[in-house]
Formats: sequence, C-alpha cells, structure tokens
Amino acid sequence: MLKTHGHLSDDRLIALCLDGADAREAAHCPACQQRYAEFAALLADAHVTAVADADAAFPAERLERQHARILQRLEQDGRPGRVIAFPRHTREGQAWRSRPDTRWMAAAAAAGLVIGLLAGHATQTVPRGAIATVVATDTAPPGFRAVPTAFSEDEFLGQVEMAADSPGGTDLRSLHDLTPRAWEVR
Amino acid sequence: MARTPSRLARPSAGDRLASPPALSKDSQVAAEVKALIVAGEREAARERFAELVGLQQRRASRIAFAYLRDVHDADEAVQDAFLKVFTHITSYREELPFEVWFTRVLVNGCLDLRKARSRRWRWSLPMAPDAEAVACDPPSTDPSPEDRLLSGDRAQEIRAAVQQLPDRQRTVFTLCQMSEQSTTEVSQALGLSEATVRVHLFRAIRKLRCLLER
Repeated sequence: MLKTHGHLSDDRLIALCLDGADAREAAHCPACQQRYAEFAALLADAHVTAVADADAAFPAERLERQHARILQRLEQDGRPGRVIAFPRHTREGQAWRSRPDTRWMAAAAAAGLVIGLLAGHATQTVPRGAIATVVATDTAPPGFRAVPTAFSEDEFLGQVEMAADSPGGTDLRSLHDLTPRAWEVR
Repeated sequence: MARTPSRLARPSAGDRLASPPALSKDSQVAAEVKALIVAGEREAARERFAELVGLQQRRASRIAFAYLRDVHDADEAVQDAFLKVFTHITSYREELPFEVWFTRVLVNGCLDLRKARSRRWRWSLPMAPDAEAVACDPPSTDPSPEDRLLSGDRAQEIRAAVQQLPDRQRTVFTLCQMSEQSTTEVSQALGLSEATVRVHLFRAIRKLRCLLER
C-alpha cells in the first residue's frame, strides 16, 4: 500500500479506480475517500463525455451509410479493374476533317514561307553599290567633298598646310599657329 | 454514472493459469471469414464480414472520433480499417481477440491520418468551423445527469484537458476509456508492455486532474 504522510498516494487511488478493487482501503480516511471520489468522477465524466461526443457525431443514419459504403468498397475491391477502351478512329480521314483549323494553320505557314522567300529574293536583286552610293550621297553634309584615302601621311599633311595657307583658311589661322609644324616635330 | 471498472482489471493469477477464454463472437466471425477466404468463397466471406462490421462499427467510430475529433476523418479511418482488415484477414491469428487486432489496425490508421492532417494544415489557411462538426455537440434538452454534464462547462473542460495530453498518454487514455478494453488488451493493441501502458495511463489521469483543478 503506497502512502504519503498517512494518506494513499494518487497512483494507489487511481489503481483502485481502474482495477475495481475494494474501495474500503480508502474509506478509513475522509481525505482519501474524497480524492478517490474525485478520481472516480473524473474517469466517469471523461468516459461519458467522449462516448456522447462520438455518438452525437455518428448517429444511426451515418453509421448505416458508413456500413453501406464499406460493403460497396469491399465489392469493388474484389472486382478486376475496368479497362477503358482507347478511342480509335475508323478512318484516318475523319480525324483530319474533324479538325478544320489545322488546314488553315498549314496554309498560313505555307503562305508565310512563300512571302519570306520572295522578300529575300527581292532584296538580293538590288545591287549593293547602288545602295552604298545612295547612302553616301544622302548622309554627306553639303560643302564637303570626298577625299581619296590612297595617299601617304606626308601628302596628307602637305595638303593640310596648303589648305591652311590658302585665303579661305583665315578662320583656321589661329589654330594653325598653335599647331607645331610637321618638320619641327621631326 | 457508475463506471464498470472491472473492464480495466488485470487478470488474476488464477485466470492466467486457467484455460484460454472462449473466443468472443467477433473473433468467431472473423475466424469464419478467414476460413471462407482461404476456401475461395469470397462472396460468402464478404457477407459474413458485413456482420462483423456491424458488430464493431460503433466502437470503431467512437475510437476514431476520439482520436481525430473530425467526423469525416473518423469516417474515412473506420472505412479504411475495415477494408484493410478484410484484405489481410488471412493473417489474422484466431487465438487472439479480433478486437485487439482490429483496434491496432484502426489506431495506426488514425495516427497516419493525423500526421497527414497536420501536414495539410501546415499549408492551409484557417477556415470557418464546419457546421456539421459544430452540430456534433450533444443536445441539452434531456435533463438527465449525463446531459447536464455535457451541456455544462465540465464537459468542455474535459475535452480541452484531454487534448492537452501528450500523444502517448492521450492514446492510452482514449483507448482505455473508449474501447472498453483492459490495459492488457490495450498493451497488445499498441505493441507496448502492460507496465508501460499503466504508467502512461496513470500519468494521463494525474495530469487531467491537475488541468481540471485550475
């Protein structure tokens, strides 16, 4: 008998409640009897509450439905799986005719290809030189003339000197004075 | 409100030495179903199993609802448990009570469902309470002592306190309270020793008392 300070321990009282042993063991002490009654009431209340909650959640109608559903699933469980036939077409042409949009898509793709080829051919027939001339003519600002680039550095610098000495180059005179001569640098 | 405590009693030494107790009706029916399946009479086995479902259905629903606290989940767990038992009925050992084996299958299914539900809730937003679940609260029109208990705060406190128990303690307490099984049978159903079951059960009751005294 487990006792603490002359009283039965909680475990002993719980065991008395659970095992249905003779409760006279706790009857000698009012305090132990009170605690025993509390444990017994707790267990009884918990049992009643849990059972009532579950029974309210599962009334007879729901249990009947559950029973029927279980039997239905058992019956389905024993059957072999139903094989669904793969859809097949009787004639190949039917599948093509049943989807008219595909014809328009094919026609549009072919037309796009033809237009692309024609456009490419048309651009290649125009001579490249003509295009370059047009571009050069259009982009060159007025007052400038084309300078051939197939001469040496000395010739180029000489032409710059001559241009600076010419009467039309007075505007560049001040800049010319600041610039060292080619022969002075050498 | 008297409780029948003897259902949790441990078998005495005299009982243990005596011949094995006669099989319950459920166990007898389960043995017949197994024999029919082995004989290849599946249709007859299914009809016999329907009787077994009727015998165990109420108890199974109570256990599942106590675990899951959700009507739909409990319904699913009970259905799955019966299907699983029928599928594996050939592995049933007739010398053991069918209730113990079935309870073990059912509890494992409930635990799996609870895990799945916790994973589901992790990624879902809270929703309004289910109208059907709200309707599960027992009516208070009957003035019996049980209904006075259930309609009052006491029942609500008990529900909340049971939910606060650790998983293992709640499992043991629920089984002992709901399945009308002894601690020996609960230990077989859970795969634990009887001493472990009693330790968890005592702790659960002590904790419940502390929670309800606050």
